[in-house]
Amino acid sequence: MEDDNLEKKWLVNDLSDAEKEAFDKLDDAELNQKIIKGAQQFKASQFSSIEDLETFKTRIDSEKKPVITLQAYKLAFRIAAIFVIGLGVYFTFFFTNITTIETLASQKTTIELPDASLVMLNADSKIAYHKKKWQSNRALKLTGEAFFKVAKGSKFDVITSEGTISVLGTQFNVKSRENYFEVICFEGLVRVSSNNQTIELSKGKSIRIINKKTVSEIVERTKPDWLTDKSQYKSVPLYLVLEELKRQYNIEINSNKIDTQLLFTGGFVHTNLDEALKTITIPFNLTYKKDSSNKISLYTIE
Amino acid sequence: MSDTICDKNTFSKIYNSYAKDLHDYLYYKYGNQLDINDKVQEAFIKLWENCKDILPEKARAFLFRVGKNMMLNEFKHKKVVLKYKEVLPKNYTNETPEFIMEQEQFYQNYQKALGNLSEEQRVAFLLNKVEGKRHKEIAEMLNITTRVVEYRIYSAFKLIKEQVKGFR
Repeated sequence: MEDDNLEKKWLVNDLSDAEKEAFDKLDDAELNQKIIKGAQQFKASQFSSIEDLETFKTRIDSEKKPVITLQAYKLAFRIAAIFVIGLGVYFTFFFTNITTIETLASQKTTIELPDASLVMLNADSKIAYHKKKWQSNRALKLTGEAFFKVAKGSKFDVITSEGTISVLGTQFNVKSRENYFEVICFEGLVRVSSNNQTIELSKGKSIRIINKKTVSEIVERTKPDWLTDKSQYKSVPLYLVLEELKRQYNIEINSNKIDTQLLFTGGFVHTNLDEALKTITIPFNLTYKKDSSNKISLYTIE
Repeated sequence: MSDTICDKNTFSKIYNSYAKDLHDYLYYKYGNQLDINDKVQEAFIKLWENCKDILPEKARAFLFRVGKNMMLNEFKHKKVVLKYKEVLPKNYTNETPEFIMEQEQFYQNYQKALGNLSEEQRVAFLLNKVEGKRHKEIAEMLNITTRVVEYRIYSAFKLIKEQVKGFR
């Protein structure tokens, strides 16, 4: 059909002036225009957009993706492959010989760094650093939780997915878990950079970011509680407390029947599971059942 | 150092040139059911990891192939429903309720029509008509000929027209 041909040509912007005149006279002319104009309403950028280049660069530098994959369960093999290849590239200033130390659930360990700084790793945590370059560049990556005793010297950086902590010789605790980022300074001065905010913590001060909400606090303790095999919390959502319980005892917890958003103030020990469960469940009028040696279910008391 | 992608300047140029295109391509193809930005970032991260082995001129092809594969693994085969922006008539008070309802009907059918197109038709049509991409550009992005691009745009148009025809 002639009209069809005209339409085809118009669609690919291939009309001569005469043809254009003929096209505009078609019955369908208005509808045709309407369809083309209407397409604009579906434009992608109105509903979804990409990060800018600077944000992307911080992704590469802070290794966001692989940190999440350590805890993620989907596409484990493909992403694990990216992580293994990526580790060498993400540390843009590390090319070979990265030392990595990792703890599993219910495991803690102490590491001495080449400058005699000490790192105490809590359960299910990991640090990575460049042994050979340590003296000139004290920077390590942390996932999970660790307590640092930093020997006096040049800048010492701890890089986590949530932010970077810089110190000059001090004692501080960094907790970088999913939805829970906390830095406590026990001695000296610590600078925390996270999400475009920078804050300096002196002795006894802490900063905590739970689910994107920031809280500053004064802390009485002189050492983190987990070093003495205890965990203490103040107004922290129960599901985060349960996460740590799972880590310390290497167990699974079924909490489908309870409200895990409730706020918990209190603590639990790392050395006796029954006692730990009691201190967590009693305040909420809950009870627990052991489904097997490492599976616990939580219920409300009727 | 020669001009490889591992050079941060070269990489930045590539990001600025193709990130939006890749995003739009995936968005029009699969809709918004997955976080498209996330997949785009993953594709660029993969490019960065392999920067040693990819020539700058091959970067676009790599990104599109990787992006597509990532989506294929997670994409749930539901019908694609692309959102549209409500058209606010210029002189709101002058429009009759019937007219506004007709507009609404028009766009709902348009949306359905887009969902009924094949992925290829939808992508070609929207990249051309919404993003203003030339046929040659689309052909390069999708690794097909310009002939095929024109054909897809044309068949998309015809199918859309069929579905929105009743509602002028």
